[in-house]
Amino acid sequence: MKRLINLNVNGVDYEVAVKTGATLLNTLRDELKLTGTKKNCELGDCGACTIILDGKAVNSCIILAIEADGKKILTIEGLAKGEELHPIQQAFIEKGAIQCGYCTPGMIMRTKAFLDEYPDATIEETKKVLSGNLCRCTGYTKIIEAVDTAKDYIKGKERKKIEFHSQKSAVNLSVVGKRFPKIDSPDKSTGRALFTDDITLPNMIYGKLLLSPVAHANIKSIDTSAALKLPGVKAILTGDDVPDVTWGTSPARYDEYILAKKKVRFVGDVVAAVAAVDEETCYKAIELIKVEYEELPAVFDPFEAMKDGAPRLFDDKYENNINTHVDHHFGDIEKGFAEADHIREERFAGNRTYQNPMEPHCSIAEWDRHGRVTLYTATQVVHYVHHQLSRILDLPLGNIRVIMTNCGGGFGCKAATNTIEIMSIFLAKETGCPVKMRFNREEMYLFGRGRHKQYIDLKIGVKKDGTITAVKQKAVLEGGAYSSFGIVSTYYAGSMLPTLYKFDNFKYDGYRVNTNLPPCGAFRGHGCPHPRFAFESLLSMIADDIGMDHVEIRLKNAMTPEYHTCNDLDIHSCEFKACIEEVRKKSGWDKKKGKLPKGRGIGIGCGGFVSGAGYPIYRSKFPHSNAMIKVEEDGSKAVLFIGDADIGQGSDTVLAMAACEAMGISLDRIAVVSADSDLTPIGFGAYSSRVTLMGGNASKMAGEEVKKQIFSSASELMKIDADKLDAKENKVFVKEHPETFIKWEEAAFNFFSKRGPLLGKGHYSPPEGLGGTYKGAAVGTSPAYSFSATVCEVEVDMETGKVKVLNFWDAHDCGTAINPMLAEGQAEGAVLMGMSEVLFENEIFDNKGKMLNADLHNYLIATSADVPDIHSTLVDSFEPEGPYGAKEIGEGATLPILGALANAITDAIGARIFELPVTPEKVMEAIRNNT
Amino acid sequence: MYISDFNYLRPRHLQEAIDILDKSPDGILLAGGTDLLVEIKKGLRKPKEIISLTQVKELKEITSDNNNLYIGAGATHNEIINSQIVNKFYPVIALACSKIGSEQVRNSATIGGNLCTGASCCDSAPVLIAVGASVEVHNATDVKTIPLKDFFVFNKLTVLKKNEIVTRVIVPLPKSGTGTHYEKLGLREAASISVVSVAVKIESDGVKCINASVIIGAVAPTPRISEKATNAITGKNIKDILNNTEILEQAGQGASDDSIPISDIRGGAQYRRDILKVLTKRAIIQAIQSITK
Repeated sequence: MKRLINLNVNGVDYEVAVKTGATLLNTLRDELKLTGTKKNCELGDCGACTIILDGKAVNSCIILAIEADGKKILTIEGLAKGEELHPIQQAFIEKGAIQCGYCTPGMIMRTKAFLDEYPDATIEETKKVLSGNLCRCTGYTKIIEAVDTAKDYIKGKERKKIEFHSQKSAVNLSVVGKRFPKIDSPDKSTGRALFTDDITLPNMIYGKLLLSPVAHANIKSIDTSAALKLPGVKAILTGDDVPDVTWGTSPARYDEYILAKKKVRFVGDVVAAVAAVDEETCYKAIELIKVEYEELPAVFDPFEAMKDGAPRLFDDKYENNINTHVDHHFGDIEKGFAEADHIREERFAGNRTYQNPMEPHCSIAEWDRHGRVTLYTATQVVHYVHHQLSRILDLPLGNIRVIMTNCGGGFGCKAATNTIEIMSIFLAKETGCPVKMRFNREEMYLFGRGRHKQYIDLKIGVKKDGTITAVKQKAVLEGGAYSSFGIVSTYYAGSMLPTLYKFDNFKYDGYRVNTNLPPCGAFRGHGCPHPRFAFESLLSMIADDIGMDHVEIRLKNAMTPEYHTCNDLDIHSCEFKACIEEVRKKSGWDKKKGKLPKGRGIGIGCGGFVSGAGYPIYRSKFPHSNAMIKVEEDGSKAVLFIGDADIGQGSDTVLAMAACEAMGISLDRIAVVSADSDLTPIGFGAYSSRVTLMGGNASKMAGEEVKKQIFSSASELMKIDADKLDAKENKVFVKEHPETFIKWEEAAFNFFSKRGPLLGKGHYSPPEGLGGTYKGAAVGTSPAYSFSATVCEVEVDMETGKVKVLNFWDAHDCGTAINPMLAEGQAEGAVLMGMSEVLFENEIFDNKGKMLNADLHNYLIATSADVPDIHSTLVDSFEPEGPYGAKEIGEGATLPILGALANAITDAIGARIFELPVTPEKVMEAIRNNT
Repeated sequence: MYISDFNYLRPRHLQEAIDILDKSPDGILLAGGTDLLVEIKKGLRKPKEIISLTQVKELKEITSDNNNLYIGAGATHNEIINSQIVNKFYPVIALACSKIGSEQVRNSATIGGNLCTGASCCDSAPVLIAVGASVEVHNATDVKTIPLKDFFVFNKLTVLKKNEIVTRVIVPLPKSGTGTHYEKLGLREAASISVVSVAVKIESDGVKCINASVIIGAVAPTPRISEKATNAITGKNIKDILNNTEILEQAGQGASDDSIPISDIRGGAQYRRDILKVLTKRAIIQAIQSITK
């Protein structure tokens, strides 16, 4: 029975009927429709649902609504006064403290309660207080800056001027190269931004999945009868009810069923799907489904799995559970090692980590009367979801509409189709109702697609002067039960090594092995971070062996522009050496290296990444990014329609800036519609760090087409040849006489009046023929490559093994940063995520394959209290293939961190740790073994 | 993840709460809810009746008299951290409370809840045991005090009976010359569960440690008194404890010997034993340094 309670929310009195078990969070969101407060971990671990209750910041997910009876509540919706934003919101927007925006409302409310109580809080106090609000995008650095700025704004102080030096390549540009706030940040700061879970459709019902509790088993029977009798249950589907079609990510390895067909392969495999009037009924129905499993022997270790006679996950494929094998040999490895004066080989191991975007996956499906499907979903890749659904549903693309709402971060775990996207559609078809499905945090871990744990044997040979002569690498990737992105991950694990340092002789053996664990996939830096950790560690060890400085050995071998690698990849722009020199200088390397006291250490690591994969995931001739621009008839606004997805990284803003620069208008004259398959032309989406370069080129091209038409119109009005005109800052002017101009909108208005719609379109395909002709040559190809170097300084408690990171000095060659503030945000986020992976993160399973830390309480990620000082620099660079010279930064910036931190810890403790994560326990073991 | 409906009762006064609890066959007490609601959501508990203590004002009070400091069981961790009375007598209790969860959790979670959950890694218990605290327990007919050292039975199990409510924590006021400290190792800087923790109280007559208490946490099924560590420093000259590494070593080793840790996702048993030595030594030094004249 429901009870009536009284809540005063944002100054408004509500009388609400609630169930006794209703949380305050669900009541705010579902009953009062105040969806600005976000639902994430549901267990009080993340702070996304922070509200202010009677003056105190609390997690509304673990407070009963009934307990708030008679109390005053302030939510994010109550902070701004009409159009006037609160100073905290203003500061968050200006400082670039908002990326995906999912943690933002909670973070802002936490800040509000904090600054109300401590208006003069120090940075250290801020870091501590915000530590209950997890953010996975920003690295907290800009959030901490924003809180500091908000303090000033609240006291009425003026905005501080930011000292900022433009990159050389951006000096003459009017929009590109400027530190504009993200265009979606006002919405995200006020709770107005809609994420999929914020949407409620009329007559909508909910769906949940029944997941396997056992790691490997045949399904003998499923009895849904008791569950179907539960009031409110609308439908239950099992493997027998769905098409006999397999799906996945790479066409060569479609090996997942929509729902398990007779067999489950890991704890978390999908057995059945339930639709009911609410989530609670779904959960209760799931408990009533009786499944009889015949358990099979399971295998969790890749080396065990490869042995003859090991339990097989698939009877008809993947012999010895080897899902993918790569055998690459470039140059002459024997000759290379023969030429070496010093050779060293070591074994390294990574860790099994999960992306943990703050927004849980969520989808809403509608199967309408005309047989046309609409899916709202939190995805990085609208087109790949669209393509996969078309296969699975056996419908043409035109009968399916995929709409990305705001997406609260992805980092790879939303870079392909997922089970709830598919099942929400089948449940919608079955019930005739719109169906919302959402993973909780545990289900996110079990759906998986996180980083493969790699076991790497790496051997490097060098001459006396440090010149690398040969590199031999063997990688075993623990892949989990299904393929996902795994083939690509396995190739990437080898193919990117030759892009950072020059060497001619390279042998790579890669094995991806299936185990009865959640499937692994693509996670920031896709397949590369562990090999790069191994390489950067071994390179520093070798430098020590031959008595060379760690910086010098890197400079000696560093990539230079216009280089063809041994595995047929073409490097064009490259300011890698400038990155190394920059961090050497800024960190005071020469004064510190080898001179710090015991327990204090400094280390360098480097990395880089593709600016977009050279080839799509499935074979297609479509341009990779496509853009359209429609100018309003009065010329007051241009609307950019782009298929690529802004998942928080800021691509809507970046692409709008490229388009504005091309058209000659200011950023306030553009709006963006992105990632909706009905409205926007296809874009391959946000993966492989492709959007800035590819989407940027498409947007720029569309903008240039508009500008051409603007010039033709202006030429009529100004009675001057079109080729004598230029456009900037909303003016069309004579190049030779800039004082002679007309307003941009006047030219646009004239065009529309005479010729109808003013439209531009653009597209981008990577140059043809990228890469070699050997098997797997496509992976690693790209129009351009980023480069980064990082120096890290740590302090280690020599008695407990606890590592405190003090500083990161990182420098990046990302070409021209279209928006330097957002580029810095990417770098800071990458730095902290890399640090978090090295120090804290690891998925842990029991001996039955059940994950033991599938929540944010036990799977630790870095909080604001762990944040070191991050000093990021963008070096001068220009990439001819990129829009205005731009390349990627989002993934490449992660790659140096693992090695830099590992090398710094080694420097501090005098011993090396070869396996991630570097826990205090491993540090103590290393110290002990060294003495 | 859901919370099934239950019968909800919200007494306004302590006596009312005691009476309701006495009559309720399977009522569960709800304080801050940061443990209970998580356990319900995870399906570990399915209560039919919940008796909320959040409106019981008596449970919120933090007071003192000539003998004791009294902390209401319903005081939140942040109320304790910010309490002038607590900070006047026992800043170490505020320190221990500041190590629990996040700011948001500390705004809801209560000290009574923290103790009654009975987790071996509980942050407030080691300090409170070290300073000789007791809990006051009410049932329908009786009031009793239970020394906190006797309160914990096993991980997530206390001596508390079904019809009993912990109403307040009673802490004897520190004698002059008392020093205390709490050390904890978590895997990250904030909002992390203790891998190992240790609380130390030392009473000094100006020269000697005349009385001591070393309590170790997260290394046994309950927070635990380390007799060996306590004995290693009791009766010793304060200066010697600080300067004679052998005494400190003995204390550290004693704490380690008295621990019976398990290996879990946060650390191995041997690592816990090793680190306990270090933290014990550090806590003793800090406790001595905190002695007020």
